[in-house]
Amino acid sequence: MLNTLITHELRTIVLSPKFSLTFAVTSLLMLLSVAVGIAQYHDAVRQYETTTALTQQEMREARGWMSLNNTVLRAPDPMQIFVAGVNDDIGRISAVNSFRGIKLTHSTYSDDPVYAVFRFIDMAFIVSVVFSLLALLFTYDAVNGEAERGTLQLIFSNAVPRARYILGKFIGAWLGLIVPLCIPFMLSALLLIVWSVPMSPDHWLRLLTLYGTSILYVTVFIAAGILLSTATKRSSTSFLYSLVSWVCLVFIVPRAGATIAGQIVVIPTVAEVEAERDAFAKDRWARYEETLQTTWRSRNAPIESMTREDREAYREQHMWEWMEEDDRNRKQVQKDIDAFALSANEQQRNRKAEQERLAFALSRFSPASAYHLAAVNLAGTDITLKARYEDALNIYRPLFTAYKDKKQKESGGMGGIRIEVNTDTGVKIDTGREKGVLDISDMPRFEQPQRSFRDAAVPAMIDIGLLGFFSFAAFAGAFVRFLRYDVR
Amino acid sequence: MEQQPLLEANGLTKRYEDGALAVNNVSFSVRPGEIYAMLGGNGAGKTTTINLFLNFLEPTSGEARIAGIASHADPLAAKKHVAFVSENVMLYTNFTAVQNLAYFVRLGGRTGYTTEDYRRVLLRVGLQEEAHHKKLKGFSKGMRQKCGIAIAILKDAPAILLDEPTSGLDPKSGYEFMQLLGSLRDEGKAILMSTHDIFRAKESADTIGIMRQGNLVMQQSRAALSGEDLERLYMEHMAGVTE
Repeated sequence: MLNTLITHELRTIVLSPKFSLTFAVTSLLMLLSVAVGIAQYHDAVRQYETTTALTQQEMREARGWMSLNNTVLRAPDPMQIFVAGVNDDIGRISAVNSFRGIKLTHSTYSDDPVYAVFRFIDMAFIVSVVFSLLALLFTYDAVNGEAERGTLQLIFSNAVPRARYILGKFIGAWLGLIVPLCIPFMLSALLLIVWSVPMSPDHWLRLLTLYGTSILYVTVFIAAGILLSTATKRSSTSFLYSLVSWVCLVFIVPRAGATIAGQIVVIPTVAEVEAERDAFAKDRWARYEETLQTTWRSRNAPIESMTREDREAYREQHMWEWMEEDDRNRKQVQKDIDAFALSANEQQRNRKAEQERLAFALSRFSPASAYHLAAVNLAGTDITLKARYEDALNIYRPLFTAYKDKKQKESGGMGGIRIEVNTDTGVKIDTGREKGVLDISDMPRFEQPQRSFRDAAVPAMIDIGLLGFFSFAAFAGAFVRFLRYDVR
Repeated sequence: MEQQPLLEANGLTKRYEDGALAVNNVSFSVRPGEIYAMLGGNGAGKTTTINLFLNFLEPTSGEARIAGIASHADPLAAKKHVAFVSENVMLYTNFTAVQNLAYFVRLGGRTGYTTEDYRRVLLRVGLQEEAHHKKLKGFSKGMRQKCGIAIAILKDAPAILLDEPTSGLDPKSGYEFMQLLGSLRDEGKAILMSTHDIFRAKESADTIGIMRQGNLVMQQSRAALSGEDLERLYMEHMAGVTE
């Protein structure tokens, strides 16, 4: 009997006139989204490769080791095709040098504002918004619609157990909606192969899990639609409730969570943090200047009574020692500024993390939020993407500056411009320019932070679990409601 | 030896939560090969009685038994022995007559019917062959009632409940429908039918019960009513003259 009920429900959905059109349009939308995503991914790869090659060339052709500056790019990841997350919003490029801290700039949207105006509609968005609505539209009248049409009475004039009926309804509706959803999923995967997107086994695992999560998310709305159809007598009422619930769950609750968290946990703005950092740097450099002046005064004190020749000999003897000392002090100042900036950033990140945790906890009441969080985690385009890169860049920066210092010392230059004025030989300017190009073959390379399947799946588990819970709770609600449903 | 009743109401009472008494201590029985017609006006309690048999409602007291099984105690077992045709048979308009039959017959626990079986039974109830594989979208009420009775026939239950089955049918369709009921009675089915139609009740029913305000105010066999003017009796009972 369960088979009969499932088959009937499946046929009712599949043979309904709205089904073919709806699924043709949504499948096309999804395939179009993946195709556009693949094209954008290939563009991003080309841009990444060109800019990386250009940076390498600029480094090789640098004036000297002192002026060696590196620029690191965030490498595109194939998963951004499916879930853009914060990928297009955060910067892709950061300068790596000893003077300025790490800062990712040049986001896709800042470079090409047209993308910000017509934002990329990714698969996760289509599933989250379009398929959830479809699931509700196909199930909101699953039970009360039958009661209104009068078929429910005829069904239950037979020895049909209610539990089996509602289970049949759910499984039938699930198959009717999920199987067609799998078709664009499979075609999307095929597009990746056809258009040579370099998917590692890890990427495939993440994509499969993303597909599974999408199915679970749509299941929540199928169960919710059936619940509404058992909780109301009239299909017009359940239709209205479905729309209101959909708007609340997909649009309002996720944003309300972030807004409430923003009010509860206040964090200083980036401008405030930067102003604080600049003030500290200004103060630190001012103190350094004062110290430098005092030091030079004390250095010059012993030579005031000397003859010109003795003075020059004395200076010649101590000059490198003094310059090294000044350089050490200067580096110490920079280190202090870096440490302050790091600490300020850390504090801001901690506050941000606290705000994010609260926002996520509040917004997770919505399955759309849970799905989105799981999707961005699985794709690696979650909110920690920027921090992951900044952390990796902060690890890389000392390696790079140490390499640069080492090369600088090895080449004998202290950096900067050395001007020597001699009454006999005239002015001699040493820019430290190396002969030919710089050999940077042994330069430490930036390691793009990698995210394994496990790294991606573990934080997504809580949201996947929540989606499972929402599905179960909605179906259990429908089940309990239907046990006492008036079938007349 | 007298056969055991297939449909039996014993002191059947239904009082709704708002206190309204829909059925009050109603008792009757329908044996195999018997048509029992329940006459009564709107709100007399006829449909409620049928709903109590189908366990769509729980009785406040008393019981409705189908093939000896109290329907509120074991509804699934009881419903195996009964088929139901409502006043307005509603089927799936996106499916054909045969597809609807196949679905409801399977829900009724019957399998193994062939397309030929469906064809034969649809012809028997008077549905023309060209309509068998058409979607029900354009079907008239009479055509849907025919599909409903075809489902009841295919379920092959010993008892049939009909809730005002000829209401809204044209005279020809109504006549054909009653002829069909007669043939089912002859096959040994116990038929309980609620109706407003005094003429058809007198013509076809073996026993006639008149309900008023939830009470079974009169119950007579056709033989006992042979010399009586049923319409007059009905009007008197409806007006409460006989009380």
